[in-house]
Amino acid sequence: MKKKLLIVLGFVILLAGCNDRIELEQQSYVIAIGIDNTDQKGVYAFTYQIANPEVGSSAIQSGPDEPPTEIVTVNGADILTATYTANSFVSKKITLDHTRIIIASEEAARSEDFLRVIQSASRTPQIRRGVQLVISKESATDFINNNEPIMEKRPHKYYQFMLSRANQTGIIPRATLHRFFQITEGDADLFLAIYATTDQSDEKKNERGFEDQYIAGEIPQIGGSPTQFMGSAVFKEGQMIDILNGEESRIAQTLDNTLEMGDYLATIPDPLMPEYRISYEYSQKQKPSININYHKDKPTEIDVKVHFQAEIIAIPSLIGYTQNKDKQKVLEESIIQRLEEKTNTLIKKSQEEYRSDPFYWSLYIRKHFKDVKSYEKADWHKKIYPNAKINVTYYIDKLEFGKMLDDSHLDEVRD
Amino acid sequence: MVRSFKQSKKSQTPSKHKKISTSLQDNIQESKQLFSYGVNKDFAMRTIQIHFNKKDACLFYYSSIVNGPMINLHVIKPLLERSGESVNNVVSIENIEEVDNFEKIIQNINSGKIILLIDGDDTAYAMDVADFAHRNISITENENTIKGPQEAFTESLNSNISLIRKQLHNNHLINEGVQTGERSKNEVNLVYIKDLVNEDILENVRSRLEQIATDNVRNIEILEQYIEERPYSLIPTVLYTEKPDKASSYLEDGFIILLMDSSSACLIVPVTFWSFFHSPEDRYLRFFYGNFTRAIRLFCFYLTLLISASYVAISNFHSEMIPPDLLLAITASRERVPFPLIVEVLIMEIAFELIREAGLRIPNPLGPTIGIVGALILGQAAVQANIISPIIVIVAALSGLSSFALADININFTVRLMRFIFILAAGAFGMLALTGAFLLFFMYAASIKSFGIPFFSPMSPHFLSSEDTVFRKPIKKEIFRPNYLHPKDVQKKSK
Amino acid sequence: MQNKGFLRLKEILAMTLILVGIKLSDSTPALMAQKAQNGFWLIPLLSFICILPSFLIMLYLLKKYQDKNIVELLESLTGKWIGKCVGILLFIFAFLTLTLDSRNYIEQIKLLYFPESPTDLIYFVFIAVVFIGAKKGIEVIGFTSWITLFTIKAAFVLVLILIYGDIVVQRIFPIFGASLPVVLSEGVKKAGIFAELFFLLIAYQSAKRTSMFRKGILLASIIVLLEITIFYFVYASVFDYNSIKKIQFPFHDITQYINLGNFLTNIETIFMIFWLFAAFIKFIIFIYITTWIFGEIFAIRNFEPLLLPFSFLVIIIGLSPFNSVINELVFRETLLTIMSPFFIIFPFVLWIIAWGKGDLKQ
Repeated sequence: MKKKLLIVLGFVILLAGCNDRIELEQQSYVIAIGIDNTDQKGVYAFTYQIANPEVGSSAIQSGPDEPPTEIVTVNGADILTATYTANSFVSKKITLDHTRIIIASEEAARSEDFLRVIQSASRTPQIRRGVQLVISKESATDFINNNEPIMEKRPHKYYQFMLSRANQTGIIPRATLHRFFQITEGDADLFLAIYATTDQSDEKKNERGFEDQYIAGEIPQIGGSPTQFMGSAVFKEGQMIDILNGEESRIAQTLDNTLEMGDYLATIPDPLMPEYRISYEYSQKQKPSININYHKDKPTEIDVKVHFQAEIIAIPSLIGYTQNKDKQKVLEESIIQRLEEKTNTLIKKSQEEYRSDPFYWSLYIRKHFKDVKSYEKADWHKKIYPNAKINVTYYIDKLEFGKMLDDSHLDEVRD
Repeated sequence: MVRSFKQSKKSQTPSKHKKISTSLQDNIQESKQLFSYGVNKDFAMRTIQIHFNKKDACLFYYSSIVNGPMINLHVIKPLLERSGESVNNVVSIENIEEVDNFEKIIQNINSGKIILLIDGDDTAYAMDVADFAHRNISITENENTIKGPQEAFTESLNSNISLIRKQLHNNHLINEGVQTGERSKNEVNLVYIKDLVNEDILENVRSRLEQIATDNVRNIEILEQYIEERPYSLIPTVLYTEKPDKASSYLEDGFIILLMDSSSACLIVPVTFWSFFHSPEDRYLRFFYGNFTRAIRLFCFYLTLLISASYVAISNFHSEMIPPDLLLAITASRERVPFPLIVEVLIMEIAFELIREAGLRIPNPLGPTIGIVGALILGQAAVQANIISPIIVIVAALSGLSSFALADININFTVRLMRFIFILAAGAFGMLALTGAFLLFFMYAASIKSFGIPFFSPMSPHFLSSEDTVFRKPIKKEIFRPNYLHPKDVQKKSK
Repeated sequence: MQNKGFLRLKEILAMTLILVGIKLSDSTPALMAQKAQNGFWLIPLLSFICILPSFLIMLYLLKKYQDKNIVELLESLTGKWIGKCVGILLFIFAFLTLTLDSRNYIEQIKLLYFPESPTDLIYFVFIAVVFIGAKKGIEVIGFTSWITLFTIKAAFVLVLILIYGDIVVQRIFPIFGASLPVVLSEGVKKAGIFAELFFLLIAYQSAKRTSMFRKGILLASIIVLLEITIFYFVYASVFDYNSIKKIQFPFHDITQYINLGNFLTNIETIFMIFWLFAAFIKFIIFIYITTWIFGEIFAIRNFEPLLLPFSFLVIIIGLSPFNSVINELVFRETLLTIMSPFFIIFPFVLWIIAWGKGDLKQ
């Protein structure tokens, strides 16, 4: 009797276990989610980019015309419920577990309600905290639809490679949802999201820019995928307020200890022949030290020291910096001066325009307070930061000249 | 019921306990009746007149299990020709036993001895001339090693003991015989080292052997099932091996070996989980090499037991875990498969078991065919016909292949059977049920005791030992015998 | 019951570590962060300091009154009937903690991994495993704890290693979170999180030697404290002070966040396996000792058959709170607040009684 009961129970469990059981082929895997505003308040247009498993698989020959992704757009109140609406024309259950990025249009991000819609993403366990937040210049639907990677047909690969490489070079920040919520809920600093666009129709090409002084959409480009990732969108209290270009994004990341950035190449005007530019590789081996002297009644002093190394890549002016100490000194100083100048401009802009910092520096003032109440009362982004005296100093630890000891001498060549 | 049967059996043979009489004729008559002389073709009887005391005598034996020339040379010839005082002086056989009743006579004749009855004497002489047919000692077939002795036990007790004694030159190595079976009296030989073995365990084994109440225990394989504690358990509690070197290494640690004349293997008791996990080669290989094979074997253990179940659990319940590229590849290959994933897995696992079983039973000349057919069915054809997806072939092949790394046949079956339970559990409730099932299996194993020894000792409960569990220490650092056996001398090497 | 003295220091240590240590992965941190904000990681330290003297007194008394477990000790010190009443109180505490905790774990499993299965069914499967496991007896539980301990702890350490890059140490400032008085009072109020240590005292006689039990449980409680504090510190530095309040299961949020390179991005299921092992074993131990306490009070020597009715009772009572938030923030909070003073004060009372009786001078 006991055994029979157990067997019956076993079957009950086996059958009932089917609740959460779902076959792999019964699910559609969303790689990117787009968020757009609609005319109606509280209703958003959600775009889901679904990977087509048959493309790029060697086991099954798919039709040559089958697209690598299926892109659907539906209106809904939040990310998860909209997937159920989408099921009226998507044949399988929409799964968000593999989402790589969330794209919000600039319009949606600038609206006051942006936090409401993005908040729902953190409630479901399906969307991971590691998902990156991208702001597109055009509507997210257009962005996803226009985005046609040429080499990496599979969308998750494309986003993964694109974001990680662009992030290494510092032209876009690392903008996970986790960071977004921590900074927004911490209510002190500015959050930087990735800025991107596929919109190139516009006349506003920035022909005079140099390697990183662009924002997405401004880079003159011939060939390749139309999508450009460049610069960052500045969020204050969960709402987008401005755009930083690539160079400013790099500086912001340099000064932020919680972000990692790889080495990058940049140029400065040659201090001795300003019509040419010298290229160097900027690399930062140690994190900047940030010191805050908090004063209750007078401006707080923030003292930042950045140590970096530079390696000269190219000297088109062919001036012999390599073997001349004085010229090297000049070069060093001009690199430092330029960095400091750019940094001070950014800091000034943030103090006056944004009235908060994109560097997550509020962390360093916390230890001056014993509890949250007094910290919140001191009010970092209203009182302390905008009035602070900020002093950023760059130190060059090493100046290398690569594998060449000397450049070719123009006068000798043109003899 | 059983009891009454037994009694009726006994009443059929009243003469069994009869004493030998002094009259030769009576004795011959009795023996002829006992052994069905005339009907029983290989039962031989020979009457002679003994030279030294000029009396009539009679010899009985089974001609099929004795050595004929030896009888002529060492028994008949001396009796006919030599002079002396007693049988013992005349006959040149090593082992002469005097018996006084017919039960003993039966026993001795059955075990290949020749019985000499002399007129006017109420004792019979049993002389050992046994020559059972058996194979020669061959190399191991089921427990292969690359490095290490290649000899295997064969179906002869004497050869087997000799194989063990060859490795252990120790006068305390005891070979004790215990009779089992009621109709066919077979001898089970307990082999142990007297000054190491724990008396309680030895007594436990003896009493279990004595408690076997059955007509016939033919061989070790049957005996194993008579002495184990839990016949319904999936987990074995007796170790079975055909390698004398493995057996003697266990003897050295204070374990007990059971041998029978009719089996080409021995039983080792008591056991722990580790005895099934270890292979003698682990110790023959140098420290790192041996531990490397251990690591591989542990991994195989996991693969066989859980890979299919993990695959079912992950893809049916936790698809978020699969990396996107793999996920899309699996999804693509599954799109045209008609079965749910769990059915697919079960089909492949059962197909593998089929091939395995068929491959085992197939007559040798047909052997290669099975490989071709199997590979074709399982691999190419089934995938192309969209019956299963290619990834399942990989999973099933992995789990099947790694099951061969678990050389011990008992633990191999345990793992193969548990695999199906785990697959079903994973299909029911994903990782929750799989983890639960595994934990319960584990706890069940931990609760098993083999002859009073907890299954996971010496890991937990802890005992002094050479700490040879998952990994072993260098041989020079192995100082102690496993203390869970409570051996009389726990130290095996001076520090 | 089937005690043959196989349990040693290792097994006692492992059982305590699993029973108490897994607290770092449930919603206890969220419970503490409600009031203390990012200062919550100090609470376990304070609670432990509060409860340690009481616990040491208990161990001391048990050592003095040899061959007794906690219930027998109560009865011999305060008399049969008062002893029984206090014993019943102890049992009710243990049983309620068990039930509320189990609901909490079921919610974790359901919310994160089985969103569409009914809670009752998950509860049933979970408790069924726990029941069958508990049936195997304290020794097997001990062996299992010890053998699995290493893998469980290794998984937790792996979590620490993988999250390391996302730790922002400055987030723990302002150091006292909501303010020092809040943290202090919470520390005292939440001392009940170490109540399991007291419940475990029922197994005092199960070790080979009682000194092994004492050493094991003390060593384990110190390791547990370190573990919990380290993990809470990590939570406080991964999540900002406003966010930590909102996260019900920080451990799982972290396992969802971390990844192994670009290839394996969602690896929470791996940690879920080891976490589940720990959870199963925790409740196996817990239900066993709770039943044991009950058995001791009513002098039921063979209490193992009681495991089945108790398992059912756990499911039925565990299912009654309307949702997990109420279960966590109202019931568990209240229970902890009631238990804490009991476990802090009561051992002193016992000690005074024993001293008054003059039993301590022997």
